[in-house]
Amino acid sequence: METRQETYFEEFEVFSRKTQTSPVQYHFSLLAPNEDIAIMMAQENFMRREAVDDIWVVKRQNIRKMTVEEKKTLQRIDNKDYRTTKGYGYLKKKWRKYEQEMLDEKEIMSWAGGVKNGE
Amino acid sequence: MNVLLNDMAEHEKLDQFIARIKAGEKIEADDWMPEDYRGTLIKLISMHGISEIMGALPEKEWVPKAPTLNRKLGIMAKVQDEMGHGQLLLRVAEDLLKPYNKKRDDLMQDLFTGDLKFHNVFHMESKSWGDAGLIGWLVDGAAIISQTNMLGASYGPYARALHRICAEEVFHAQHGEAIIMALAEGTEEQRKMVQDSIDYWWESLLLFFGPPSKNEVGSSKQDVTIKYRIRTSTNEELRQAFFSKYVKRILSLGYTIPDETLRFDKDTETWIYQQPDWGKLKIIARNEGPRSQQRLNLRRISYENNKWVREALAPKVI
Repeated sequence: METRQETYFEEFEVFSRKTQTSPVQYHFSLLAPNEDIAIMMAQENFMRREAVDDIWVVKRQNIRKMTVEEKKTLQRIDNKDYRTTKGYGYLKKKWRKYEQEMLDEKEIMSWAGGVKNGE
Repeated sequence: MNVLLNDMAEHEKLDQFIARIKAGEKIEADDWMPEDYRGTLIKLISMHGISEIMGALPEKEWVPKAPTLNRKLGIMAKVQDEMGHGQLLLRVAEDLLKPYNKKRDDLMQDLFTGDLKFHNVFHMESKSWGDAGLIGWLVDGAAIISQTNMLGASYGPYARALHRICAEEVFHAQHGEAIIMALAEGTEEQRKMVQDSIDYWWESLLLFFGPPSKNEVGSSKQDVTIKYRIRTSTNEELRQAFFSKYVKRILSLGYTIPDETLRFDKDTETWIYQQPDWGKLKIIARNEGPRSQQRLNLRRISYENNKWVREALAPKVI
């Protein structure tokens, strides 16, 4: 006769993506006997109302999280303007002098569907 | 890096812990925490989780008897949500219970033996469709007041679970309001159904928030939950908030509240009211409420009947 583990089901962490282009988002954990049931339970437990394009389940034991001590290394010092557009905001004024609009993030991201030709 | 934490003396760990929660940081399941913090959370969250599951039972009784198909779908969705909330909260409790090597089955056994309590309101009868509506409107209303107070809880997993739960509770409250509104605007018989429900549930609603201090029933966890920033308000402040939000709404529908002394005192800005019979809370804690044993039996039978499914799905030993 085959024997089965006395232990309860395994812990899975649940993630999902709302649309094909959205980032994957963490939801919560659940207990399930295997990955297939975990997917079904994730859908029942966490996606009863919201739009969802994909669901991921990961065994908790396969996730390496940071410790409290390690998290301290995540604190940022607010002196890195050169890494962001904030450090180059003065260009807007400069371009105005040359009667040009600044190519900012909003403008650049709007080129996604193609750029309309013009002088 | 954990070596650093292990080398610290207990009092240093406690100081660091208190500093973290004072700074608004969230404590996670694997972080160091003082034993009374863990113990308080286990008691609070396992009771909350199991109450969600036991709380679905008085409402589930009305699924087959709901008056229209739409109402049936609505109350089924609510029952499903409550079971989902139970799943979320039991996960949070289980992670806290790991150092004691206790699992979900242990929580269920604790419920059956009476060691794990469930909220007083779920020991009551749901005799009419008016009760089904009132549970959604006022019982969920009371639960929303107590749960939103803990949205900023210092324990991260509980705070995150509550954010999901409270979002769905808004639907539950409106579902209850819709049932009550239809009855309140209906026939005399339907209107009376709501008044009977208010009269039956009022005392339980006051008991729901717990005693003002440990003098009434012998113990209270409210001081420690506030100290550790699990919640911000006292039991009495939450009960007062309930009066402020709901008394005028009940009266506006032309209903009365079974307490002639109830009034808002403008000088002290507090509600004056007849204290409920706190002894009833002790009776219910012994699982001797009107429906305690029937609901527990339903859960026992269901747990036993579904045992083969859990066993069949359990991973094979290789």
